[in-house]
Amino acid sequence: MRELTYVEALREMMSQEMRENENVFLMGEDIGVYGGAFGVTRGMIEEFGPERVRNTPISEAGITGSAIGSALTGMQPIVELQFSDFITIAMDQLANQAAKLRYMYGGKGNVPMVLRTPAGSGTGAAAQHSQSLEAWVAHIPGLKVVQPSTAYDAKGLLKAAIDDPNPVIFYEHKLLYKTSSEDVPEEPYSIPLGQADVKREGEDVTIIATTVMVHRALEAAKSLAEEGISVEVIDPRSIVPLDEETIIQSVIKTNRVVVAHEAVKRGGYGGEIASMITESEAFDFLDAPVKRLGASPVPVPYNPELEKAMTPQTEDLIRAVKDTLNRE
Amino acid sequence: MAKEIFMPKLSSTMETGTILQWLKNEGDPVEMGEPVFEVMSDKINIEVEAYEEGVLLKKYYEVDEVVPVNTVVGYIGEENEEVPDTAPAGEEEKAEEPVSEAIEENTLETTTDKTDTSKVRATPAARRAAKEKGVSLFEVTGTGPKQRIHQDDVHLHAEEDGQQELKASPLARKWAEADNVNLENVEGSGPRNKIYTRDLTSQSEQIDEPERVPMQGIRKVVADRMTESASNVPHVTLYSDIDMTEAIRLRSQLQDKMVEKTGYKLSYTEIIAKAVAVTLKRHPYLNASLNEEKNEIILHQEVNIGIAVATEQGLVVPVVSKTDQKGFTELVKETKQLGESARKQQLQPNQMQGGTFTISNLGMYAVDGFTPIINQPEAAILGVGRMKETPVGVNGNIELRPMMAFSLSFDHRIVDGAPAAAFLTDLKHALESPYELLM
Repeated sequence: MRELTYVEALREMMSQEMRENENVFLMGEDIGVYGGAFGVTRGMIEEFGPERVRNTPISEAGITGSAIGSALTGMQPIVELQFSDFITIAMDQLANQAAKLRYMYGGKGNVPMVLRTPAGSGTGAAAQHSQSLEAWVAHIPGLKVVQPSTAYDAKGLLKAAIDDPNPVIFYEHKLLYKTSSEDVPEEPYSIPLGQADVKREGEDVTIIATTVMVHRALEAAKSLAEEGISVEVIDPRSIVPLDEETIIQSVIKTNRVVVAHEAVKRGGYGGEIASMITESEAFDFLDAPVKRLGASPVPVPYNPELEKAMTPQTEDLIRAVKDTLNRE
Repeated sequence: MAKEIFMPKLSSTMETGTILQWLKNEGDPVEMGEPVFEVMSDKINIEVEAYEEGVLLKKYYEVDEVVPVNTVVGYIGEENEEVPDTAPAGEEEKAEEPVSEAIEENTLETTTDKTDTSKVRATPAARRAAKEKGVSLFEVTGTGPKQRIHQDDVHLHAEEDGQQELKASPLARKWAEADNVNLENVEGSGPRNKIYTRDLTSQSEQIDEPERVPMQGIRKVVADRMTESASNVPHVTLYSDIDMTEAIRLRSQLQDKMVEKTGYKLSYTEIIAKAVAVTLKRHPYLNASLNEEKNEIILHQEVNIGIAVATEQGLVVPVVSKTDQKGFTELVKETKQLGESARKQQLQPNQMQGGTFTISNLGMYAVDGFTPIINQPEAAILGVGRMKETPVGVNGNIELRPMMAFSLSFDHRIVDGAPAAAFLTDLKHALESPYELLM
């Protein structure tokens, strides 16, 4: 099959969509000739020109506000924020405008925009360029939140995000940009938002993991399989909307669950997933407390070892799985 | 704030109370002053009233449970207010009395009640599995942290249990074989439905079952107190037949006036009580009680005569305080009223306290004499039998005299035979010359 990296998959999807749909255009800092901070838009200005691949000043609030305005007029902007940490600057536009307008105008206006932005640590980018703040936006009704973990998912979810008439926050992960999937079709395809993917089937414990944690969960599952422990790995792919049914059915099957994300555990979205499980029919099937894994509540350290230590690693997942099984 | 309902301490000697019935259910609204439950102390049944207005939130004890005084038995508060799942331990008594031990034991017992599985550490999955398989979580060994029971523990237990299949005693098996009874159709009454022979009899033949009355309420108290007294106190009983000729005369002379004045008749009980009270003043060791802990005999200044009254529920002993100082009018009124209250079960705790001597009168029956059991901690009790015309020798002649059989049981630890006999002799004199009582 056709092997493509995460970056290439995203670029391919945007390019394919822009060829077909003249309403779609890009806005962001240094996305033109430079190709964006992580090279996602590299070469696109050559094909689509500066009208549709628009370099902007360094003002996240301004870029986001412009995108919302153009979306209201019928355009389908794709905004790129260089680092998802800076979403805080665009927060008023997102929370008070993008998320509200369709509702407040009784459906007479839509905000069909996508805000792409890289999150996560592991690159030595320190405290202000490494956070995972997806829980902030997931809390706002009116925003959809997508977190692809593979090139294949990235392409299909981006298509669904562009097609969606609502604002979608599309979290990419810095460590995943160079990872590749072996089976990315060339023709455009869409993965519906709110459809989780079972990345690995198992019987004993379910790990629900997002973005980079999906890969660590798969590594953990592989290692645990050698000890005879069968782990199921579920990637929700979008946390808003969340595919509750897939998670619940998996927990009913395995009776044990570990929820893992890279974001700080305190107030993280894992708490929401854990609560959802205990409130659901899966409660009576739980044979161990729901285990949450997340980062320590500290700023991301500018030190590679400490940076690793604060976020859940494969070994942490292995230990968590064994905890739920009462095994050392 | 939810307010506690305490087991009241109704007398200085009350250490525990038995809950006879709850008059309210959990969730019922309760007015201030409304009875919430009925309690029985060692002396009395009484309805405990609410001190608060609100909703009965919680009942920690069932009917017939024995609860130490000052223990929280429930809560009254606003609807849906949170209260503890198990009864908090009593507090007030802890510092001063050894009662605290009893309180702790009691709460421990209730929390480990085998039917209450809510306190077992088990995962939701284990609970579901236990429910499906009909396994009691109490019998499952948990392998998780802090003995938490997991699903697999339940499955394992159920498997082991299944291997034993039908539980029956060896004798029951033989019996069933002989009678051709299929044990699978028999409901076992033992632990985990183990079948005993008694379960087979109810199966194979129709037997007129005896009525079984639970030992509770006054019955249980009487049983406990009598056993304690009979087994701990060295009883000696003295008998004397007393000529009641003069007492009869006294009674008939006072009768009309008495009815006119009080509406009640003067009965021999009051005459005897008065005679006993006056005589006791001269025999302090018969009007005494023993404090075993302090190793001392308490000689009471007051003469408070307890009069045993038979009620439908059992024996109660209301007390006529300062009997020696009361005239017949007062005595008749008080005794009759106490008797009525006793039969209606309306005696207040203070009406049964402070007795120093007890009279048990069976004279209305064909009883010539009996050995009464002392009403602890008193020193003695007087049993009164019937009056009957008996030929007695009087000054060389045989005469028929109304003789009444008296028996005095006394605690030989407190008093010896001679002084007790002297008391009975003086009592005989008092009753045979009753006019002296008026002096």
